[in-house]
Amino acid sequence: MSNANHPASAWLPPIELDVHHTDTDSAAASATATAGASARKTESLGLAALAAWPQGSWTVPAFLGGIAALVVLALAFDAADLMGRSFAASYALGTLVTVILAVTVGTAIKLALDEMVSIRRLRHIDSLRAEADRLLKANGHGEALVFADTLGDFYAGRPDLAPALHALGHTVNDAHSDGEVIALIDRQVLSALDQRAYRCVLVASRDTAIATALSPSAALDVVIVLWRNLKLVREVATLYGARPGQLGSWRLMRRMLANLAVAGVTDSVGHVAIDALGGSLAAAISTRLGQGMINGLLTARIGIAAMTLCRPVGFSSENKPNLRRIRAELMSVPKTVL
Amino acid sequence: MLAFSVKDGYNRECVTSESGRRSLKLLDWNQLAHVGEQALGQALGHVNVIAGRVLEGNLRLGVTGLRRAGKTVFVTSLIDNLIRGGRLPFMDVIAANRFLAARLRSSPDRVSPRFSYEKYLAALTASPPHWPAATTGVSQLRLAIRYLPSSGLRRSIQPMATLNLDVIDYPGEWLMDLPMLNQSYHDWSAHTLELTEHQPRRQLAARWLHWLGTITPDLRPDESLAREGAALYTDYLHACRRSQSNLSLVQPGRFIEPGDLAGTPLLTFCPLPAGSGEPRAHSLWGLMNERFEAYKSTVVRRFFVEHFARLDRQIVLVDVLGMLNAGPAALYDMRMALTACLEAFHHGRGGWLSRLTGHQIDRVLFAATKADHVAASQHTHMRNLLDMLVSEARNAIRFEGATVETMALAAVKCTETVATEHQGRKLACIQGTPLGRQRATVLFPGSIPDGPDLFPENVSQPYRFLDFEPPAGVGRDGRGLPNIRLDQALNFLLGDHLA
Ligand SMILES: Nc1nc2c(ncn2[C@@H]2O[C@H](COP(=O)(O)OP(=O)(O)O)[C@@H](O)[C@H]2O)c(=O)[nH]1
Ligand SMILES: [Mg+2]
Repeated sequence: MSNANHPASAWLPPIELDVHHTDTDSAAASATATAGASARKTESLGLAALAAWPQGSWTVPAFLGGIAALVVLALAFDAADLMGRSFAASYALGTLVTVILAVTVGTAIKLALDEMVSIRRLRHIDSLRAEADRLLKANGHGEALVFADTLGDFYAGRPDLAPALHALGHTVNDAHSDGEVIALIDRQVLSALDQRAYRCVLVASRDTAIATALSPSAALDVVIVLWRNLKLVREVATLYGARPGQLGSWRLMRRMLANLAVAGVTDSVGHVAIDALGGSLAAAISTRLGQGMINGLLTARIGIAAMTLCRPVGFSSENKPNLRRIRAELMSVPKTVL
Repeated sequence: MLAFSVKDGYNRECVTSESGRRSLKLLDWNQLAHVGEQALGQALGHVNVIAGRVLEGNLRLGVTGLRRAGKTVFVTSLIDNLIRGGRLPFMDVIAANRFLAARLRSSPDRVSPRFSYEKYLAALTASPPHWPAATTGVSQLRLAIRYLPSSGLRRSIQPMATLNLDVIDYPGEWLMDLPMLNQSYHDWSAHTLELTEHQPRRQLAARWLHWLGTITPDLRPDESLAREGAALYTDYLHACRRSQSNLSLVQPGRFIEPGDLAGTPLLTFCPLPAGSGEPRAHSLWGLMNERFEAYKSTVVRRFFVEHFARLDRQIVLVDVLGMLNAGPAALYDMRMALTACLEAFHHGRGGWLSRLTGHQIDRVLFAATKADHVAASQHTHMRNLLDMLVSEARNAIRFEGATVETMALAAVKCTETVATEHQGRKLACIQGTPLGRQRATVLFPGSIPDGPDLFPENVSQPYRFLDFEPPAGVGRDGRGLPNIRLDQALNFLLGDHLA
């Protein structure tokens, strides 16, 4: 790396080094040696991504935090009070209340921890994607092996990905540039996930389309769409290894809605309507069906946005998911329903 | 009859679905002849079999490069890797799991010698391994590749498809003859003599130039004199190609790579200065002129018609590193040679070669070979250097509609890239066993800068790229010979025909 672009003044003549007397280390070994440094870099990148996470000004969190603190304090006082009074009534009642309190507090802490872990994983994915993007742009040499290792660790507990990761270890060699290694990861590990995620999106968008077409009331529509989209986002995120909790999915969903444009998906509903209506007379005939299709397409867009935001390596221009197949699928919904 | 309607449907579908030109062979003449030999009833019984084989694509891939550029090794590795399929992750057909198998088939061309793949592979995988012996002339081999078509429509008609890949290995020296078709003896002589006005050619051609000084073109046509001149000129061409000078532009190519023409009168001529006034017809000049024209019309044109004009795709292997070893003169010469080569692909609308044939090469890959002789971080620079060498002509070809790509690759990877510390500097080196030695060594062969300043002043020998022994046990794992970017090269050259 360093010898590649030194100025001509520092021209180093060809030399031969004795293999036994120099402290050579193979590219892989040097990769692990620099792993620490690079991991640190990854972390700092993670912080950068965190800063980019959509956030309001500090006043809103402070206000909410204050309220939360007050509520917790009030609850604590109440609980203490409750405990005192139930012990005063009878020892058995006191024990019962204590146990109930302990279980409640314990599960609350566990839930919070889970949420924190899931949010951390999401941020980790963000940092991975930023790192992959940097490696692709720089197209240097040797660093992508570290990235591959990090990704391997990230997917360590996934038996479904184990064969692909194993095969990747065989195909990547010291001659591949960083860009090539990332491309191989993309092809050999992530493209299979893309296929599965795409299927999830397809199913979800068909579900919402049919359900909203059949549902009797608009209020029910909203509920169905919200619930199904949330479920879809969780499915997709879990597939890519983000494993979001309840709160995590909500955050993801919020971010998704804010970022619909990020995924190369335009967010204007008018556009959606044109997508849905374009080319299909059947849709134009029935507003209900049209509604269903608009909702289906919206779900598809959200699903694709989720894919884009949960993928540890950004989509390239050639493997970007598109709506064409989903649209075709949705066009056949009227036939299914009628 | 049913079989033929299926065939027609397939053909139409292909034509409409592929915007590019696709040489789909519907019925091979050999097969037709074969059918003709059978009794009618028997032939009818074979219809299904033929129908199964009718839907085959054909593709002729030319592999060329100057002597020692690595053609033989490249073709051997290409075939081995396609047969085993384990080391080509960047081939789309393999990445998408649509690749079924590849196997050798007998070539329909009964005239050209067969490429002895088995012999060369045996040499590379022997213990101890060694490089295949140098080869001459043209050879070819047919490989049938079975795959699943990617488009659902095609797959519903034909669940499996076959691409017959003909690989033709021919000397790059012959390719550089093609521009001669467009030149007269007078112009060619003038051009060739002009080249000898500069070093190092003046020195290399000294004896031949001296001989030229002793004769006048108006002499009686004398066979022994012609032989003498041709011999001296051939010596000069050989000297150009020797590794110290490593000059690339040598014409006529058959003087270096005679193929089956060694010693024939076709090769007994050499450039002569025009002299003053119109040279007499019955003179040494006239004799040479006649032979030059004969060389053009029989040798060059025959090569063109029999081989070059039938190619669909072409890869040109360039030993950029050997040229860097030799110095700036070699670099300059290689640029001239590549430009001459590229002229051959210049045959879109209105190009002079296109008048001779309707057929056209639509993808050309220039590949810097032996990329394993440098550290992996240098590959980009190696490729940029090649880019620079072909840049001029490349735009012209793009304009004609053919695609030109450059790449740095190694057909057989013999080294590992290692990082070392030397006098406080981190160096990317290579580790391997240099040719003729027993023990592995770590080497910093010099680094190719990313720019035009390839030969810094005050450095006497900036590069020392060594050849390496093939690594012991290579190919034992059954996944194909280890390589660098062979998959990307193949994807560019064949990918669209395996879609
Ligand atoms: N390390 C390495 N050496 C190669 C490679 N290809 C060719 N060579 C070297 O180049 C020499 C000439 O190769 P060959 O294929 O016979 O050249 P041809 O005359 O163009 O057919 C071989 O003997 C090897 O030493 C390669 O991929 N890697
Ligand atoms: Mg050869």
